[in-house]
Amino acid sequence: MKGSYHVMVQNNRLRYEFDIRRNITIIQGDSATGKTTLVQMIALYAGLGESSGIELRCEKNCRTLDNPDWELILPAVHDTIIFLDEENLFLKTDQFARMVRESDNYFVIITRENLVNLPYSVEEIYGIHTAGKYHDMKRIYNEFYHIYSNGAFSSEIAPDAVIVEDSNSGYEFFHEVCAQKQIPCESAGGKSSIILRLKNTRKCHILVIADGASIGPEMNELAQFMKTHPDTRCYLPESFEWIILKSGLIDGNALQELLSHPEDFIESREYFNWERFFTHILIQYTKDTYLHYSKQRLNTAYLHDRARDAILKVMEHIHFK
Amino acid sequence: MLKIVFGDIENSIYHPPTWFDNRYEDEWITDPLSVQMIKDIDKSDVISPHLIESPVLGPISTKELSGGVKTLMLMAFDESGKIFNASSCGNNCAKWIVAIAGRKDLTINLHHVMDFSSVGEFDALMLNTGRMVHSYEEYVDEALGIEER
Repeated sequence: MKGSYHVMVQNNRLRYEFDIRRNITIIQGDSATGKTTLVQMIALYAGLGESSGIELRCEKNCRTLDNPDWELILPAVHDTIIFLDEENLFLKTDQFARMVRESDNYFVIITRENLVNLPYSVEEIYGIHTAGKYHDMKRIYNEFYHIYSNGAFSSEIAPDAVIVEDSNSGYEFFHEVCAQKQIPCESAGGKSSIILRLKNTRKCHILVIADGASIGPEMNELAQFMKTHPDTRCYLPESFEWIILKSGLIDGNALQELLSHPEDFIESREYFNWERFFTHILIQYTKDTYLHYSKQRLNTAYLHDRARDAILKVMEHIHFK
Repeated sequence: MLKIVFGDIENSIYHPPTWFDNRYEDEWITDPLSVQMIKDIDKSDVISPHLIESPVLGPISTKELSGGVKTLMLMAFDESGKIFNASSCGNNCAKWIVAIAGRKDLTINLHHVMDFSSVGEFDALMLNTGRMVHSYEEYVDEALGIEER
């Protein structure tokens, strides 16, 4: 499945309205905000349709998945937005992650746990809050909000140490940029090791650069580290390849169109997360040019003044001094 | 005393709200502590053991309370010896977990690093490492070093 889908579900008391635009969306947040009620309303509508008394509007089918036979049911479900509540023990299993990867469905998962097998985006972790009452003063209107608003994480910083999630081209680029400014820069060697690196780094103003497209499972812990170490910042673009594509180094109206609403171009079954898509696009657009891109080893053309400056310009609020 | 254990453990209930629905006692609902917790978390008033007045849903049954407040009541009143998964609780339940642990020895199970920042100073024994923590900062530092989730 690809594209963004607006979902409206309501009964006489409650109305939820939100957009789903990636294969994995996570809902978490405080107790008593209506997460389970949302899933129950979807389940009732999926079972009984309009005779449930619930109204659901969405271009795609919506349903829940919550019984012991999920492994049998999921392969038979296609082109559907599937809602899962936190009680499902299988959410953390490798088998579930494998089936999500192979699926052409979108998944909306209620959980506070870090689902490390699923590479979900920081942009798709939401809480639910009440936006107000409808004009009849009877129905409460609920909407999603971003749990991790990017502004709070990447506000102004001149780092005195940099940790890069990546160990390939992205790391090589930032290592070179930092070396010119005599700022220590190390690779975490993967997102799950970022916290360990942070704990071992004896600097104040640490900048973490990680792929926002897949950092979701680490966000709760990163956010709490930042609460206790307020001088730490995270820069979370979709991926290093996305920064290059955004930099203007590569011309093309089609590319700009793609970057303005990538959800309409990214088939979830083909790309488990958006990072892989942007890597594929960058390789495709730079093939046989002086900027030909390889994820494994950085093309030194990206370190020449013009290219380097264009890439760094995308990183608002980050000042390598 | 609050004891926190991260990861899969024996004798724990992964989804406490389901356990609550099948095991709660009427007197738990009208206990002053529950009345306060239901008011604070669910913004609802206890009318009787079988009736709650919710500002959103109107009159609801006890089983329609939030998963967080059900888990808190289990922590406060359940005597089965089970350890309840506090990852069913939102961060708005943290102060109540600490309050319940002020009344009794309470062991909770976590599958994520719950945010106790709203509580500030509190004491907890981290069972995975055997270390005592005395503040949110110490708790985060210790919890982030524990691999089990």
